[in-house]
Amino acid sequence: MFDIIAVDISGRHKVNNEYLMVCAAVAVSVTADHIEKVNQMALRSFRSRSAPDIQSVVKMVETTVSELKSDGVIVTEAGDFYNKPQWLIDSMFTRDFKYQESISERRCIEIAHHASLSSRKLLLKELDIQ
Amino acid sequence: MMRAILVKRNDPRSEDEKNELQMNELRELAGAAGYEIIFEMMQTRHPDRKYHLGRGKVEELAQVVVDLRPDKIIFHNPLSTMQIYNISETCRCETIDKFQLILEIFATRATTHRSKLQVELARLEYELPRARAVISILKKDERPGFMGLGGYEDSYAQDIKNRMTRIRNELETIQKDNESLRTHRHSKGFSLAALAGYTNAGKSTLFNALVDENVESKDMLFTTLLPTTRSLKVEGRDILITDTVGFIEDLPHWMVDAFRSTLDEIFLADVVLLVVDSSEPFETVRKKLLVCHETMWDQLQDVAIVTVFNKIDLITDDELQEKFTGLAYLAPNSVAVSAKTGFGFEQLKSEIRNILPEWKRIELIIPLSEEGMSLVAWIYDEGLVHDINYTDVISIDFEARDKVINKAISLVNGLS
Repeated sequence: MFDIIAVDISGRHKVNNEYLMVCAAVAVSVTADHIEKVNQMALRSFRSRSAPDIQSVVKMVETTVSELKSDGVIVTEAGDFYNKPQWLIDSMFTRDFKYQESISERRCIEIAHHASLSSRKLLLKELDIQ
Repeated sequence: MMRAILVKRNDPRSEDEKNELQMNELRELAGAAGYEIIFEMMQTRHPDRKYHLGRGKVEELAQVVVDLRPDKIIFHNPLSTMQIYNISETCRCETIDKFQLILEIFATRATTHRSKLQVELARLEYELPRARAVISILKKDERPGFMGLGGYEDSYAQDIKNRMTRIRNELETIQKDNESLRTHRHSKGFSLAALAGYTNAGKSTLFNALVDENVESKDMLFTTLLPTTRSLKVEGRDILITDTVGFIEDLPHWMVDAFRSTLDEIFLADVVLLVVDSSEPFETVRKKLLVCHETMWDQLQDVAIVTVFNKIDLITDDELQEKFTGLAYLAPNSVAVSAKTGFGFEQLKSEIRNILPEWKRIELIIPLSEEGMSLVAWIYDEGLVHDINYTDVISIDFEARDKVINKAISLVNGLS
């Protein structure tokens, strides 16, 4: 069994002249093909006037992950970091990082994606932003 | 034999090793399609909108075509209709990309009605987004005036859509037949296992060795296009094992859709045997496993996977151990086998047996009569008999599915 932290960010597009983003980090214990246990989940919202560049994405992910008590390798989709090579992104993190590989890692990112997307929708509704 | 030139554009700062692997795969694909490779060309740059490669490189390619006279130019990278047109015009030679090459292989190997339909559907799916552009380019000098070819372009695209709907309907009928066959097999007590894995991992060789069959197996990509199913006894339990088509890197979604009825054999199985060629270098095995995970992850629901490290007769114990440890996060329930020598088959079978849905064990007393004997014969067919004693009654100790046990109990009650 391996401990990983799957991360996904929703809202990386302009709404009302700003970027309203939600980052979800899910700490999970997995095997190669199954999710064994979801240990913890953290959600953080971020606002920005400009489109997120790689450094700000790294910062958002690090901030959200720091709220988790569980350890593990941070796993994301390659698209979240503009498909840049893994070694380059890994060097920018203070923790271990990798792109998604196994079936279970992909499923965990799917969970993170649903969490970030639905919480962003809820936020936009509460703030009355179309 | 047809002659071909292979061309590949590498992304700047991409890994040399990865580029070489991709080129090697293209070579093997071209070989499988029956081409003799007479020249190879590579360029590292960002894609050009008009020619994909740089214009100068395409002119160089045109000169090579004049000198060597190949039948085709095969690109590793996906090309747009405009790029294909421009390259073909400059080089005066038919130009295709990797996906068209795969379609060619599938088309030449398709023998049954179902596989022919699948290939035709994949070809149309590939053609549809290009249909308007193709007509537009081909007839660009024939536009008589305002709105010149508009109607014709639309009707061609519409025609392709109609043909696709027709083929999908026909495939759906075949799929329904297969689904009912699958349900029937499940209800007969068979569990389903599917051999999946990267193309040329040795799935067909393993299948042949396991079930003692003679399915065509070659050291070539995409030898198997149609699933073949045979029964296999695994520690007393009957399972149906299916040999399937292999995966390949960057297999586009439309192709997965077109071959859905084939891939369903994998997605609807109880156990997936993920076959890996362990004789390849560590990084290659990892990349191929990645492709398998990527192709399957969205479709597999609650299916157990057994990773079969095949061809272990070609590597040392240390190399195998290194792959087992290093790839544990991608290879669930690993088993090492050699389809060639038969090594590891027992362990593979016991791994499959552990994963199969549970059967219950029960002891029944059946009256010694003609009906009782036919009930015993039925139990032998449907379950696994551990012990049987004939006295004035028949006492039988057997293992079977819930449904069979319940039916046997009610039949015994009816008899006594």
